[in-house]
Amino acid sequence: MEGDARRATRAAFRRPRAQATIEFAFSAPLLLLCLFATIDAAAWALQNSAAVAAAEEGARIAASAAGTPVGQHAPSAAQVTRGVTAQLEPALFATSVRPWGSPRCPRKPDEVEAAFGPRVVAVCVRENDPPPCTTPATAQSPALPLLCDDSPTVSVRVVGFMASLVPPGFGLGRHGGEIAVDVSATTHTLRFVR
Amino acid sequence: MRRVQRRGRRSRDAQAILETALVIPILLLLVCNFLAVMVQVTAQVQLDSAVSLAAQARFQTTQGAYDPSGVRCCPDPRCCASPSGATSLDTAGLPTGCRYAAESFYGTMTFNQGMLRWQSAALCSTGGDSGGASASPRSAQPYPGAPPAHVACVLGATDPTGRVHPGYLDRALNPPFGLDVVTCDATATLDFSRTPLAWGVFWAPVLHAHAEAVPPPFRQ
Repeated sequence: MEGDARRATRAAFRRPRAQATIEFAFSAPLLLLCLFATIDAAAWALQNSAAVAAAEEGARIAASAAGTPVGQHAPSAAQVTRGVTAQLEPALFATSVRPWGSPRCPRKPDEVEAAFGPRVVAVCVRENDPPPCTTPATAQSPALPLLCDDSPTVSVRVVGFMASLVPPGFGLGRHGGEIAVDVSATTHTLRFVR
Repeated sequence: MRRVQRRGRRSRDAQAILETALVIPILLLLVCNFLAVMVQVTAQVQLDSAVSLAAQARFQTTQGAYDPSGVRCCPDPRCCASPSGATSLDTAGLPTGCRYAAESFYGTMTFNQGMLRWQSAALCSTGGDSGGASASPRSAQPYPGAPPAHVACVLGATDPTGRVHPGYLDRALNPPFGLDVVTCDATATLDFSRTPLAWGVFWAPVLHAHAEAVPPPFRQ
């Protein structure tokens, strides 16, 4: 009789402990998932914003370099990359910035990953559809360099995979721990008659 | 004795289920809204960038250059090789800088367009020349034939104190080759209703960007 009561009391003590363990086993992964999701979202927003700002800065550099009486073409990707790396690098962690040498920009971040490996963003500079430069129809002062009637657009793209907290196998990239970025900035240059 | 213990266990189980049922939706609600704020920040940064480049591009052409008939601007410059009526803006007869502004804006604003509800306005406006410093400022007037676009650029003048008068061109403030200024604006509502975030996000933030630019030194 006494033994039964003792067993029942012990079982009653054990049950809440077991219940707490099960509750913890359920809630801890959910809580960690939420925590990592919020940290990752914040990191993505920070890195993506830095990439947008860098692309804008790159477009300004490319446009200003081409838009002078001596500049005829947009600067190379290497020159623009040097200009934006200082702005981009502090915001990216464990991600490197490389210039994209080919005149054709990568279509998808996967191309950058295939060329440079994981966690690399490439800076690509492209002049779009440069129109033939004609002597301007509008009246301009002959003492100053003559401007062309039309000018091409210059696009700077920041594309690739940035480092993230996504575990391997869950990210967008092939190597895991990566999140895709693909932003561009476009502007026009001033183009002068040679 | 046993019945009392069973009842106690049941009430604890019910309490735990109730707690979980309350806590999990609140947790998910918080996460959803946090993600929504991050998306909003990203969209705002890109909108600021696009409007800023549009304002700068408005002056990247000769003063007095106009687009000839047949010239179209595509919302996305990448589609310029095959422009279509549905995706391009007709800028014939407008200052060339207006097309430059649109091409810069649409080429930079690559954020998911399905999430943005735009407020359209005339692509390009000016106040014209009032003829003298004594004339009162006029409100901005769209150029004839200016198509509606997601970015609106208004030519204006700055007075000696640096105050901007959008749509107001005056010979005293803004002599023929003097300092004029362009102000570009874009407004959109971020709509989460077609995303999974709609489950927990019940607000639709309005994004607005404003930028000003002055002509580059070589412009004439």
